[in-house]
Amino acid sequence: MFSCLGWWSFQAKGEPSKSKFWDCTIADSRFKLLPNGNAFNVPEELQSETLLDFIRDFAGLKGTKFGCGIGLCGACTVHIGTEAVRACQVSVAEAADKQVTTIEGLADPSDPEEMHPLQRAWINNAVPQCGYCQPGQIMAASALLKRNPSPTDAEIRKEMSGNLCRCGTYGRIRKAIALVVLESAG
Amino acid sequence: MKAGFRNTPIDRRRFLKWTGWAAAGVTVTASVSLPLVRSSLSALPTLADPEIEDGLVWVQALPDGRIRFYCPRMEMGQGTSLGLSQIVAEELNVEQTEIECVFADTGQVPPFKMTVGSEGIAKFFDPVSFGAARLRETLRSRAAAKTDLPSDSIRSMPGGFLLPDGTALEYSSLVPAGALIVPEDALQETHETLQRNVVERRRGYQAIGSSWRQQDLQAIVTGSMVYSRDVSLAGMGYGLVLKPETLGAQLLSVDSRVARSMPGVVNIVIDLADSFVGIIAETPSSLKEAADAVDVQWRASEDLSQHQINGVLDVDSAGARGDFEHELNLHGDTSAGRKAARHSVSARYDTPFAAHSAMEARAATASVDETKAEIWCGTQDPFFVQRRIAKLLDRAEADVIVHPHRMGGGFGGRLRCQAAEEAASLSALSGRPVHVAWSREAELANNYYQPAFSHSIRAGAARDGKIGYWEHDFVSSPIILGPLAGSMAWVTDRVAADEGTARGSQPPYELPNRQIRYSDIRTGVPTGAWRGLGAAPNAFAIESAMDELARAAEIDPLDFRLLNLPAAQHRLAAVLRRVAAICNWSQSSPPNTGRGLACAVYKDQTAVAVVIEVKLDHQAKEIKATRAWCAQDCGLVINPDQVENQVLGNIAWGCSMALKERISLEDGAIAETNFHSYQLLRNHECPETMVALVNPDGGAPAGVGEAAMVPVAAAVANAVFSASGRRARRLPIQYDAVFPEGDS
Repeated sequence: MFSCLGWWSFQAKGEPSKSKFWDCTIADSRFKLLPNGNAFNVPEELQSETLLDFIRDFAGLKGTKFGCGIGLCGACTVHIGTEAVRACQVSVAEAADKQVTTIEGLADPSDPEEMHPLQRAWINNAVPQCGYCQPGQIMAASALLKRNPSPTDAEIRKEMSGNLCRCGTYGRIRKAIALVVLESAG
Repeated sequence: MKAGFRNTPIDRRRFLKWTGWAAAGVTVTASVSLPLVRSSLSALPTLADPEIEDGLVWVQALPDGRIRFYCPRMEMGQGTSLGLSQIVAEELNVEQTEIECVFADTGQVPPFKMTVGSEGIAKFFDPVSFGAARLRETLRSRAAAKTDLPSDSIRSMPGGFLLPDGTALEYSSLVPAGALIVPEDALQETHETLQRNVVERRRGYQAIGSSWRQQDLQAIVTGSMVYSRDVSLAGMGYGLVLKPETLGAQLLSVDSRVARSMPGVVNIVIDLADSFVGIIAETPSSLKEAADAVDVQWRASEDLSQHQINGVLDVDSAGARGDFEHELNLHGDTSAGRKAARHSVSARYDTPFAAHSAMEARAATASVDETKAEIWCGTQDPFFVQRRIAKLLDRAEADVIVHPHRMGGGFGGRLRCQAAEEAASLSALSGRPVHVAWSREAELANNYYQPAFSHSIRAGAARDGKIGYWEHDFVSSPIILGPLAGSMAWVTDRVAADEGTARGSQPPYELPNRQIRYSDIRTGVPTGAWRGLGAAPNAFAIESAMDELARAAEIDPLDFRLLNLPAAQHRLAAVLRRVAAICNWSQSSPPNTGRGLACAVYKDQTAVAVVIEVKLDHQAKEIKATRAWCAQDCGLVINPDQVENQVLGNIAWGCSMALKERISLEDGAIAETNFHSYQLLRNHECPETMVALVNPDGGAPAGVGEAAMVPVAAAVANAVFSASGRRARRLPIQYDAVFPEGDS
């Protein structure tokens, strides 16, 4: 697929752009980051960036959100392998060469219209209010279901306790997860 | 050039031509003057309520027959844009997919009021429905002209009109490819005579009362929703303005030599007189490293401590001095009432400072060149941001364009967008686009706060349970006028009671002898709007005291409230009965479990009653809110599912306020720096909640975004009492304070 695209950004006037300062297309980088199956070379000067800043500002994947920077709110939850991690607590170097999945790649990175059952349940149950924490909530919930396809209500509460939502959508989050569990059992 | 102090009337048609707003489609215009150029003396939030004719510029028919709706409310999760879209659909008889809901930039539409106070539906129902109905009638008259038939023989049908012979005329056949602006006076109807479906309901409702879903849900759950923090521009630098270490501190000295030589640092701008140190760097990490390497000395402005503030915001010492600035309500003779009372209560209640803590710490991107300043940010008032930045950069307001984004939470904390002002300054100084994204620490320490409240309530009831007297004194800080400063603030505080701080301080009960007094005192902690303003702290005191009085009189708290409600409060009585029914109020609770009831009428409009169940876990030393029930009458419900979601969020917010949140001062600075110390309710702590909407088909639509949180903290405290016999009179309610000796 497309590797080394460098930094593509949302742009007000609709054209992608690349900064001068860094270059993710260089071929001889020791580090590669693999978000959603796409390889990004990590130049020397960017290796101390957090995984969160790298995937947002250099890989251009803005779905992963900053919330607190100290691993306490879960807004930046991504998967490394099958495990949910706080991207603000991991450096790019630590995540290099591992399979990193962000909200954009949760369902099928090649098809943005395809959605994970949790994403569909989130829509069907109109879970989000402001929506800012929801990518992190969904990444935490999907890691839980991978590990434990039929969690109890207590297990759902415990697992999801790491993800803050100031709008207070907790009840609907639990309901949406429980419905996906029910669906997959049926 | 500064615009000077004038108010230039510009008719709306001219405004539309200037902005290119009406590039296509049919627009109805009114010749109402627009205060586009305002005083340069002050930049105030956009305060004016909408006029009914304002709706005309918000609704437009497009050549393809679709309807474009320029939403006059900012979206932060409250869902107003959806409810208003349903009102548009009701008038124009279209499906959700036929409506394009747009959040216009400040150059595209005239200024509209700041998005605050749960007013989105209540105050915009009329102008939006008027604008949409007027557009429908304009299209109908075009259909009449086109077919040579009388207007009243042409009936509305989905997406267009039905002619007497059964032929359908879709809107698309009535809208020209180019722009057509129809003068307002082309139609005879005024807003008194214009038929509005939302009012007349001749055909029943099609869109209103349906649970449409927000158009942005898919973007939100797939990560493609663009919040202001997600905006980036070509060649953009990352900017940061250093924050004072303590509240109001002045910059003494800066040594930036090390930081300047660091890789990735573009520029460091210092203005000692303005206490401004701005850094621009190429990457987020080089920005952080440079900020850490700048050596800054601050001089604290005053020695603020929590102890000192507690001494100032102290109802007992104010009461001892007999010194209250404002008498909010005085009726009858409370001392006579006191003598006649059989049961009485005298108690003090305290609530702390609190922070908004929206999940998205504020951020903005600015691109400023010689002719224009463009700002991308999330704000509850884009026109206020525009005015502030125009003043800051000394530009004409029309040369500043604010592109508003969906906010990752607002809650009253985003009238200003300080990050936008910082990005604009740094972009102007550096000549390149700059992105400023606040850290969580910056977000918690550099905004205004919900002020602390200190209450004293003395009240008594006769043998039959009727309340004979009610004395309520409280001290807090100004909320609506909180952001004012200097001598202006000194004057306003003495002349006017702050309506925000006083909100909800008038109990809904029949109180023959009553005295309600308060003082708004500034403490050095910046204060301003936080969800519900004074309503929740005031309800905490009032509804706790009601519970105490009911217990003293040995009357069930539900019966006691119903007994003391006047007939005019029948909507509140109805929600009280309803919440009692859905929670089976009369059933008894198991040991260490209790249920508490509380109610309120928010802004004299929305009646709400809640019951909260708490469980005491003596082993874990925890008080948990386990279940909640809420009945609410907010008049006509536009979208039941959205309203339920708002109520659920309000219950969670109220539990968080009751059990977790407190901002405190330490060495002149806000002590809570991140979510380890400013704790919010988490998923496992959020009660299972059942919601009942009472009379959703009747009355004018009332506010929903804040109402249900108002009585929650009192209900939690009352539940703690019923579980343990202990009164929690201070928020947040913490196990160790309720059971200082350990478990009971």
